[in-house]
Amino acid sequence: MKILSNKYFLILLRLILGGVFIYASLDKLYNQEEFSRAIYNYKLFPEILINIFAIVVPYMEIICGILIITGIYLRGSSLIITLMLFFFIIALTQAYIRGLDISCGCFSLETVSNKSDILQRIIEDILLIIASIIVFIQSIKSKTINNKEKVNE
Amino acid sequence: MNQRKNILKEVLIITLVSLIMGLIVNSVNPKGIPLVRDDSERFKIDSASVQGNENKSVEKVKTKEGFVKPQNIPVETAKKLFDENVIFIDGREDFEFKEGHIKGAINIPYKDFYTKTPEEKQKMLGDIGKEKTIVSYCGGDDCEISIDNAYEMAKIGYDDVKIYIGGYREWNNLGYPVNK
Repeated sequence: MKILSNKYFLILLRLILGGVFIYASLDKLYNQEEFSRAIYNYKLFPEILINIFAIVVPYMEIICGILIITGIYLRGSSLIITLMLFFFIIALTQAYIRGLDISCGCFSLETVSNKSDILQRIIEDILLIIASIIVFIQSIKSKTINNKEKVNE
Repeated sequence: MNQRKNILKEVLIITLVSLIMGLIVNSVNPKGIPLVRDDSERFKIDSASVQGNENKSVEKVKTKEGFVKPQNIPVETAKKLFDENVIFIDGREDFEFKEGHIKGAINIPYKDFYTKTPEEKQKMLGDIGKEKTIVSYCGGDDCEISIDNAYEMAKIGYDDVKIYIGGYREWNNLGYPVNK
């Protein structure tokens, strides 16, 4: 399991996560109305919150994407990314089980009503959440080690 | 303990910055959306389209973008239009359409349709004249493709587009003519 704490492996994970989140946010930023409808179609959130999500989530994605790549606020950004992925997986899974006719709003805003498309998104998100959990845990560990070194100095 | 506090601080700062940026950009963006979504109007049947009212002259309402607003109709009106041989357009995907659709309907999947240029959209609709009445529908009242498809048609100049909100499910349950 040494690879998990390998510096270059962690940088690679951060680049992938950051890249995916920045890419995923761009389309939503341009088409907020459609993203709002995509959230609505999940039938998971109260109507009053939907547009606030549609306004804030794309910015959270792009900001966390940039932060996780640059390494600023690494613990906070990787935790938020993990939580977002967790909610995406829940939303997609319940849509998959209920067989909802939804546009998944994951990457681009095309209508994803095909069940195998949703399944593919779920698998992608599970891989991403594993990556973000590794980054989060390692960022806590390295921070703790740094702090200890500082104390020793 | 300190670590936990710091993580919480980072999370709060990121969330606050996202919230403030989102709200500011949304308020100045011409394509910005209202803070609270209101869908109650989207699925509401237009009172003018309910039977008994259809002889009253229906004023065509134009949207602020300048096209004629499609009208939501109940099943009775849809059936009446069906009997008058009006064109029905099914916005679902090809495989759903093949499983069953309103008899004689044309399949224009929204998924393909909305990505096309106006000229290509016109091509997909073939020789259907702009003055013709069109009824757009999809699976049922939990899908919005019928509404979205109708608006795409209205935007390219069709000025008598109706949306049959009940969709295929209601039509089929009532035993009205279908192709399977």
